[in-house]
Amino acid sequence: MPAFRSLLVVAAMFSGALQAADLRVAVVVQDVAQVSPQGNLVASSTPAADLVAFTDELAREICRRIRSRCAFSYVTFGEILPGVEDGRFDLGFGNFLRAPKREKRVAFSEPIFRSASRLVGSPATARAFAGKLGQAVNLDNLRGARVAAMEGSQQQAFLDTVAAERELTVVATATTAGAFDALRNGSADFALLPIRTGYALISHDKSRRFGFVGPAVADHGLGDTVHIILPRQKEALRRSLNQAIADIRADGTGHRIMRRHFPVNLD
Amino acid sequence: MPTRPERYPANRVFAMLAAAFALLFIFVVVVLAVDQERVRQSSERLQQQTVPKIIRFQRLARNLDQLRQEGELVFSSDTPEGRQQSLYLVMLVASHPSILEHPQAAAAARDTEAFLSETGRLAERDPAMLKLQRAEWQQFSKRLNLLVDDILVEGANLATADLEDVAAAMRLTRFKLMGATVLLGGFLLLLMILLKRHLLRPLEKIDRALSSLSVDRPAPEFPDVRLAEIHAVEEAAKRLHDVMVSNDAARRELQLLANRDDLTGLMNRRHFMESATTELRRAQRYGRPTAVALGDLDFFKSLNDTYGHGAGDAVLRSFAELLTESLRQSDLVCRYGGEEFAFLFPESTVGQAHILVERFREHCAAQEILLPDGLLVRVTLSIGLADASNCPIEVALQRADLALYEAKRLGRNRVIVAAEAG
Repeated sequence: MPAFRSLLVVAAMFSGALQAADLRVAVVVQDVAQVSPQGNLVASSTPAADLVAFTDELAREICRRIRSRCAFSYVTFGEILPGVEDGRFDLGFGNFLRAPKREKRVAFSEPIFRSASRLVGSPATARAFAGKLGQAVNLDNLRGARVAAMEGSQQQAFLDTVAAERELTVVATATTAGAFDALRNGSADFALLPIRTGYALISHDKSRRFGFVGPAVADHGLGDTVHIILPRQKEALRRSLNQAIADIRADGTGHRIMRRHFPVNLD
Repeated sequence: MPTRPERYPANRVFAMLAAAFALLFIFVVVVLAVDQERVRQSSERLQQQTVPKIIRFQRLARNLDQLRQEGELVFSSDTPEGRQQSLYLVMLVASHPSILEHPQAAAAARDTEAFLSETGRLAERDPAMLKLQRAEWQQFSKRLNLLVDDILVEGANLATADLEDVAAAMRLTRFKLMGATVLLGGFLLLLMILLKRHLLRPLEKIDRALSSLSVDRPAPEFPDVRLAEIHAVEEAAKRLHDVMVSNDAARRELQLLANRDDLTGLMNRRHFMESATTELRRAQRYGRPTAVALGDLDFFKSLNDTYGHGAGDAVLRSFAELLTESLRQSDLVCRYGGEEFAFLFPESTVGQAHILVERFREHCAAQEILLPDGLLVRVTLSIGLADASNCPIEVALQRADLALYEAKRLGRNRVIVAAEAG
């Protein structure tokens, strides 16, 4: 009988290990002020709080679906991909666009939603540049401007590739809120942001000085499907993750989470 | 010279038929597999490409409708802040990749956003402008509505086309399956006909021929067959008939040898007794008259002593020939022993038999017999006649023997009828 009890204990340990593995999960914040000194999320009343809350809730639902105990870290966008690549994080919720360079470093889940990018700026600045350019400002004709973008983002990568040719000054910031701050304090003329982030920032900006400028862009790697990232070698985790995404999409949980944090349901 | 028909070994024929069937079956399986693969590909395309595309169309339609609703809110909001929030949402929705990747939707969204932004700007200066802009907004709203409908129909048509493709493949598969069934059924029917014609029917004929195989009938005849083994069995049946005929001839020869007297060629005593007993039983069962007689050549011992045994044998042979020529076919006669002969006359009363044997006695007495040394002799015959209609053959012969003794005693060369009793 003691041997049988030992066997049960060992079996219980293994089943627990299989069903409730500890995962270290990184969740992106839009502003460093959204993280308390203890590392907890204090998103409310900060810029793009809805976006962070949405990402956080999605991450927790995914953890529940893959039956894992998750330890959450709230970090800036630029920390997530290197952290996942180095193995410090098992899952990265940073709303990552899929890009060949990134795919060499980390693995991608199935899409969770779709995104595009768009310039954000003040109408006055837009009119001024339109005057200089002789036409309404858009991402393709923008020249000689200071453009803010989040460090490590596809938006920054795109700007870096065209900066020299178009005489653009890229203002890299740690967060999207930082990019928006650059607009407010005049250190940037425009910010190139993901549309949801841009919407979250301009719709909560009390000054109402800023809006979208020019049409949204989905090419040049600036738009398409958005994913969760994870270490490349964790194939079993990727399968569990994809199954969880399919499940929350199929039973409507994903939509409900989105509707709790956004006035419209876009996917 | 007749052409020898070509024959084929059955194992080769059946191997070829089996191979043909296997090839046909493989062909059918391949044909069906091709169609099944087409159905699989169509289903896979429907599942992996078309359905996701339809979902994308539905989402696009929903996003466009969302755009229209937010546009309505720009006009219906009571406060500039509310209008601005709706305008931000219009911009957000108009920026969604699902709209950007669809040229018509992108153009409509771009125009709508521009119009609503301009409306917002005008309304900020003068809220009354909202009313003026409203009529034009109805056109934008209508355009978005029509686009939503078009996109929904376009998405539904995608499914229709794929489902029709699957249905067409399934229909084709059904026709091919029916064709394959008919083809295989036809092949099996042909196989059964061939089996019936070249195997079963010849075997039935062989069975019938073997069942009725008899020496009394001619050798069996078989039509030409193509299977070598069947032909071999038929030939074996013919050979069996030949052997049976040959054996029967040998049996008859042996029977003849066993039943005849070597010297005279007449029945021997054993065979006579068997045949007479049988005949007597038949006659007595039906109440028919029968007579028996015993005859003995007179002075045969003297003839032997005078002319030798060769002369005696010649006399016996000549006498036997005379008997054979003179008696009826139905009468039985045998060499009973030495110079003694037994007779049985079926369907004859003693009186009728008496006439017959008396005539023969006279004929015999008048007949000259040529001996080997060229001499001619005459022999006479004494005969004892008895009725056998109501007694066993042994009893009847015993009576005939007594009558024969009486004929000898009375001077020979005569016929004496035995008394009824004693």
